[in-house]
Amino acid sequence: MKRLQENRLDLISKYLQASKLDPELLPEILDHLACEAEERLWDGKSFEQVFGTILDTADSQTLLNLSVDHKNLLAMEKSLNDIVFEGRNKLYGAYALRKGYSQTMQRSVLMGVTLFLLMVMLPNLYARLVPEPKASDIAYVVEAKPIDIVPEEMPKVLPKKEPAPVAKTVKSVQFVVLPDNQVEIENIPPSVEELETAQPGQETVDGVENLDIVAPPVVAAKPAASSVVGVEPLKEETFLGNVEQAPEYRGGLAAMGAFLQKNLKYPSQAAKAGIEGRVFVEFTVGSDGKVENVKSLKGIGFGCDEEAVRVVQLMRNWNPGKQAGVPVRVRFTLPIAFQLN
Amino acid sequence: MENNATSNEYVRGTLKTIVLNLLAEHDRMYGYEITQEVKDRTGGAIALTFGALYPVLHKLEQEGLLVTESVEVDGRLRKYYSLTTPGNEAARDKTNDLERFIEAVRLLLAPKSLATE
Repeated sequence: MKRLQENRLDLISKYLQASKLDPELLPEILDHLACEAEERLWDGKSFEQVFGTILDTADSQTLLNLSVDHKNLLAMEKSLNDIVFEGRNKLYGAYALRKGYSQTMQRSVLMGVTLFLLMVMLPNLYARLVPEPKASDIAYVVEAKPIDIVPEEMPKVLPKKEPAPVAKTVKSVQFVVLPDNQVEIENIPPSVEELETAQPGQETVDGVENLDIVAPPVVAAKPAASSVVGVEPLKEETFLGNVEQAPEYRGGLAAMGAFLQKNLKYPSQAAKAGIEGRVFVEFTVGSDGKVENVKSLKGIGFGCDEEAVRVVQLMRNWNPGKQAGVPVRVRFTLPIAFQLN
Repeated sequence: MENNATSNEYVRGTLKTIVLNLLAEHDRMYGYEITQEVKDRTGGAIALTFGALYPVLHKLEQEGLLVTESVEVDGRLRKYYSLTTPGNEAARDKTNDLERFIEAVRLLLAPKSLATE
C-alpha cells in the first residue's frame, strides 16, 4: 500500500481545519480520509484526482454536520456550568473554580473528616503505641514462672511482721522434771547440822571445828598489832604520775597506822602456818577522796592478802591529791606488813 | 447514485446494529476498516459514508457499548473501537431484533411478489 506523504497529509489536515471541523474529531476523520486517499492512489490515480474526490465526499456541509452532531452528543453530558459559561471568558478563573467545586468539596470533606478522626483517635492511638513495652515486660515476667512465685511469698511475710509488734518478754526458765539421780545439785544453802560445827564463810574450808569466831584471831592479832606499827606508806602516783599534792589519809600517817592496827586481824591460817611478810595493796583515791579499785599487787597468801584488801576498803575518805589546786584521781600503793611475834 | 441513496435510507436505521455486529466478529476496528468491510462483504451494495458512520460510533461510545484506544500509525492517530461487555450483549440483542424484523419485512414483501408471479 502506498503511504501518503507528509505534505499531502498536511494538505488534507489544513482543509479539514479550514472547514471548521471539531478539533476532537479531526484526527479520526483525517485518518479515515488518508486511508481512502491511499486506497485510491493504489488504484493508480494521481493525487490531484484523489484530492478532488476527497473534497467531494467530505464537503464542508458534511463536515459541519459531523461537528454539530458531535456537539449535540457532548451537550447531553454538559453541566449547568458549561451552559452558563457558554460564550464567556472561561480563562477568568470563575469557570475553573466552579468546575472543580465538587472535587474541591469532596477533598475538603475527606480531609476534614480525617483530621477530626485523627484528633479524636489521637489519645487512643497514643495509648496504644506507648504501653507496648509494658505489655512486653509483663509477658516476659509471665514466662519466668519461678520468678513470679517468689515475690508472691514476700508480701505474705511482710504484713505479718508489721501488724504484730512483739510483746516484751523475759525468757522463763524451763523446768524439766527428771528422775532424782539425774538432777544436778547446784548451790544448796548449808544445812543446820553443818553450821553447828562450822562458820558460814566465802568458801567451804576444812578447818578446825568449833573454833571461836573471835578467839583465835584475837590471840594472833595481839602480837600482830604491834608489828603493824611499822607500816610505811609508799606513795606511788601511777594514775597521773607525780601530783603536786599527794592524797593523804585524814589525820595523817599516825591515824592511818592506828586504823590499820585496830582493824587488821591476823588470819588464823597464816598465824598457824607462821607466815609473815608484806602485802602491797594498790588502790585509787578519787577526786572526792573515795578509796576505790582496791586489790593486792603482791601478797603472801594464807588469807593475808584478802585481809589487807578488806581493811583498806574499810578506810574512810582520804584528802584527795591535788594538781594545780584541783582534786584529781591518784593511784596509790600501800604496803602492809604482817609480822608474828 | 440513486441506488446509494435508497440504500442509505435503510442503512440509517440499521447502521447501529451493523456496526455492533461487525465489532462482535472482530477484536477491534477503526472507522475506515468498517466502511471497507461493509463495502467488501456487500459487494458495494451498501456504502457507509463517514458522515453517517462516525456519529453512530461516537454515540455508541457514549452509551458505554464501545471503548476506544488511539494508536499512532504512519504518523496519524488511528482510533480503534472495540465492544464492552454490555456492548456484546447489545450486539446480540440488536442482531436478533434485526433478523426478526427482516423476516417480518420479508413476509410483508413475499405475498406481493407471489401475487405478481
